[in-house]
Amino acid sequence: MELMLEQMPIVIRSLNVGFLQTLKLFAVTLLGAVPLGLVIAFGSMSRFRPLSYFTKVIVWIIRGTPLMIQLLIIYYFPGLVLGTPIWGGGEAGRFLAASCSFIFNYACYFSEIYRGGIQSVPVGQEEAGLVLGMTRSQIFFKVTLLQMIKRIVPPMSNEIITLVKDTSLARIIALQEIIWAGQAFMKGSQGISGAIWPLFFTAVYYLIFSGILTVLLGRLEKKLDYFR
Amino acid sequence: MAILEVEHICKSFERTEVLKDISFSLEEGQVLSIIGSSGSGKTTLLRCLNFLERPDSGFIRVCGETLFDSGNPSSMQESEIRKKRLHFGLVFQSFNLFPQYTALGNVMLAKELLAKEQPDYKTRKKEIQEEIRVLAEELLKQMGLSDRMHNYPHQLSGGQCQRVAIARALALKPDILCFDEPTSALDPELTGEVLKVMKELAEQKTTMIIVTHEMAFARDVASHVIFMDDGYILEQGTPSQVFEHSHEERTRQFLSRFTNG
Amino acid sequence: MKKLIAVMLAGTMTAAMVTGCGGSNETPADAPAETESAAENGAEAEGAADTEAAAETDEAEADAASDESDLAYVQGKGTLVVGITDFEPMDYKDENGNWIGFDADMASAFAESLGVSAEFVEIDWDNKIMELDGKTIDCVWNGMTLTDEVKSAMECSNAYCNNAQIVIVPADKADQYQDVDSLADLTFAVEAGSAGEAEVTALGLACTPVKAQSDALMEVAAGTSDAAVIDSLMAAAMVGEGTGYENLTYTVGLNSEEYGVGFRKGSDLAKALNEFFAASYADGTMVETAETYGVQAAVIEQ
Repeated sequence: MELMLEQMPIVIRSLNVGFLQTLKLFAVTLLGAVPLGLVIAFGSMSRFRPLSYFTKVIVWIIRGTPLMIQLLIIYYFPGLVLGTPIWGGGEAGRFLAASCSFIFNYACYFSEIYRGGIQSVPVGQEEAGLVLGMTRSQIFFKVTLLQMIKRIVPPMSNEIITLVKDTSLARIIALQEIIWAGQAFMKGSQGISGAIWPLFFTAVYYLIFSGILTVLLGRLEKKLDYFR
Repeated sequence: MAILEVEHICKSFERTEVLKDISFSLEEGQVLSIIGSSGSGKTTLLRCLNFLERPDSGFIRVCGETLFDSGNPSSMQESEIRKKRLHFGLVFQSFNLFPQYTALGNVMLAKELLAKEQPDYKTRKKEIQEEIRVLAEELLKQMGLSDRMHNYPHQLSGGQCQRVAIARALALKPDILCFDEPTSALDPELTGEVLKVMKELAEQKTTMIIVTHEMAFARDVASHVIFMDDGYILEQGTPSQVFEHSHEERTRQFLSRFTNG
Repeated sequence: MKKLIAVMLAGTMTAAMVTGCGGSNETPADAPAETESAAENGAEAEGAADTEAAAETDEAEADAASDESDLAYVQGKGTLVVGITDFEPMDYKDENGNWIGFDADMASAFAESLGVSAEFVEIDWDNKIMELDGKTIDCVWNGMTLTDEVKSAMECSNAYCNNAQIVIVPADKADQYQDVDSLADLTFAVEAGSAGEAEVTALGLACTPVKAQSDALMEVAAGTSDAAVIDSLMAAAMVGEGTGYENLTYTVGLNSEEYGVGFRKGSDLAKALNEFFAASYADGTMVETAETYGVQAAVIEQ
C-alpha cells in the first residue's frame, strides 16, 4: 500500500499522458466519422445502383473484419507491400494511421444507424416539403435531419461509448494510449517495475469519461424531447 | 379562360392502370369535389397535379402555362418542377406537419426559404421576415388558432393540426389548393371545425380541388363534382347533376351507400 | 440533388482513399524516387545540384541502388529509427523522458558514427518484423535474443550480451523447484514467441503463451499459472524485494543465450554495426557504457 502511494504520482502522470492520446483519438474519430458516415449513408441509399452497391460492399468489408486487422493493414501495408512507409515510424504517423482506421470503421457503423434514422422519418415529411416548393437539400437539413437525429441518439450513444473503449485497440500499432501506459509499469518503466495496479487503474479513467459522455448524451436526448 | 386544364392523363404503377385518360378543367374561384370509392384513383390524380407522381402521358396547364407535357421531356426537370409546384397547394390526409416546428414555424418555414432566393433578401432580411410572420399569424388567426400559434404539433388536436396544415398551404398563395381527404384521419367530432374553415375558404372564392368522402359537404360547397371509378371519370357536372340526376348506375350505387349509411 | 450527393460521395471517398487509407494511387510512383535520390545523395556525398537529376534517372537502376544499400537509405534520411520497448536496463526513460539504457546509449553512439541521429520509437514487440520490413523502423535494438526465428527473419549483428531464461515461482515454494526435473508437474506462462517458450516446449512442459513477459509474471502472481519463464536481465529488475512482485522469486536457469541487434533482411547496416561494436569494445567505450547500467558482466567480447 505504501509502495503504491509512492508510485502514485509517477503513474498518474504517465496515465494522464496516455489518456490524452486516448481522448485525442476519440475526438478525431468522432469529428471525422460523424460527417463521413452521413456521406456513406447517402451513398448506400443512392438510386444510382453502382454507387449503392459499391458503398454496401465497402460497409460489408469494414464491418465484417476486426478493427484490429484494419489497423494492422492500414499501418503496415503501405510499407510492407508497396515499399513506401507513408506513415513513418514516429508517433504522429501512428496516430494518423490509427485515426484513419477508426474514422473509416466508425463511419461505416454510423452510416447504417443514419440510414435507419433517415428511413424511419415518414415519407409524408418529404412530400410535404416538396409540395411547399422546398429543394431536396432544404428538406433534408430543415425537416428530416433533426427528426433523424432525435431517432438515432440512443443507438449513437451506444456506439460512442463503445468507441471510448475501442480506442485501446490502437496499441496494436504501438499508439501509446492509456492501456499501453498502464501496462508499461508491469514490465518496468520510470523506475517502477512489476506494478500491476496501474493497468487496472486505467479502468477508472474509462469509467469517469464514459460517465461524463452518458450524462451529456442523456441531456441531448432530453433536449430533443420538445417534439415528437 | 379556365385556370386549370387537364387532358388525357394516364398513369400506371407496374402493370396496374390507375388513371385512364383523365380530362377536366376548372374555372378560377370554383370548387371541384372529386368523389369515388377507395382505389378509384382520386388521390393519385391529386398527386399527379402536385408532381408527387409523374403521369405517363397527357398534359397539365395552369393559367395558360404548360406545367406538364409528356411529349416534352424538358418540362420534367427537377428545378423546373419545383417552381411549377407552387401553383398548387396540397393538404394531406395525415397532415404531415413538421414536428420540430411550432404551428407558426410550420406556416413560415417554406415562405422563409423561398424569400432567401430573392435578390434583395440580405438587405431587407428583417423586414421580409417580419412580413412573413405577420402573414402567418393572420392565416392562423383566420383558422381560429390565434392562441395556439406557439404550440408544437404533438400538443394540438387532429383538427387543429389540419387547420395549421391548411394555413401552411395558404401561406404560399397557391393558385389552386388541393385537399386529399382532409378529414379522414380525424375523429368524427373534429371534422366539423375543419370543414367549417374549408367552407369559409370557398366563400372567399379560393380555387380548390377537394377529394373527400364527406358527401353532404361536397354537395354543399362544390361548384363542380367529378365521380371517379376504376381510374375513369365516370360522371361530372354540377352537384345536382351528379348527386340527384346521375346517369350512371355505378354512381347511384356509390351514392346510395352514403345516403343510407 | 441525388446526383449531387452521388458526386460528393465519390469525391470524398476518393479523397479519403488517396490521403488516408491506402495511398495506393499516388505514393508508389513518387516515394521511391525520393528515396533513391536521397540514397544516392548520401552515399556519394555529392552536392545538392545532383539530387534532382538523380531523381529523374532511370527508375529501375535507381531502385536497385536503394535496395542494395540500407546504410545509404538511412544516411539519406538522416535518422536511424530504433524500434524498442520499455525494458530496463536496456532501453528506458529518464526523468526528463529521454531514452537511456545500455542499448539506447549504444544505439545513439552508433547513429552518431554514421552521421545521423537516432530516433527511438516504442513498438509492439509482436510486430517487430512487420515494423522493420514496412520501414517504419530501421532496427530492433532491445535486448533481443538471437533465436533461429529471429536470425532467419532479420539481418542480425554479432551477439553483444549474454542472457539466460530463468524460471519464476512463488517465493514460498521456491525450495521445491531448484532443478529442471522438479518442474515436470508445473504449468508455465511464457511470452508468445519468446526464447522462454522455445525452452519450455523443448522440455515438454505444459505452457500457456501470453502476450508479454510481464503478463507471464502476472499469471504467476494471480495463481493462474504455477510458474513463468522470462529473461534473467528482466527478472533481476522486476521480481523480488521492492517490486510489485515481492512474493515471486527466480530459481532454475534453463539455458544461456545471447542478445543481438536486428536489421532488415539483407541490410548492410549489420556489418557496419559489427565494425562499430569491434571498435568500441577495443577502445573500452562499450564496457564503460555497460558499467553505467550494471550489465558489464554480461557483455561479450567483440
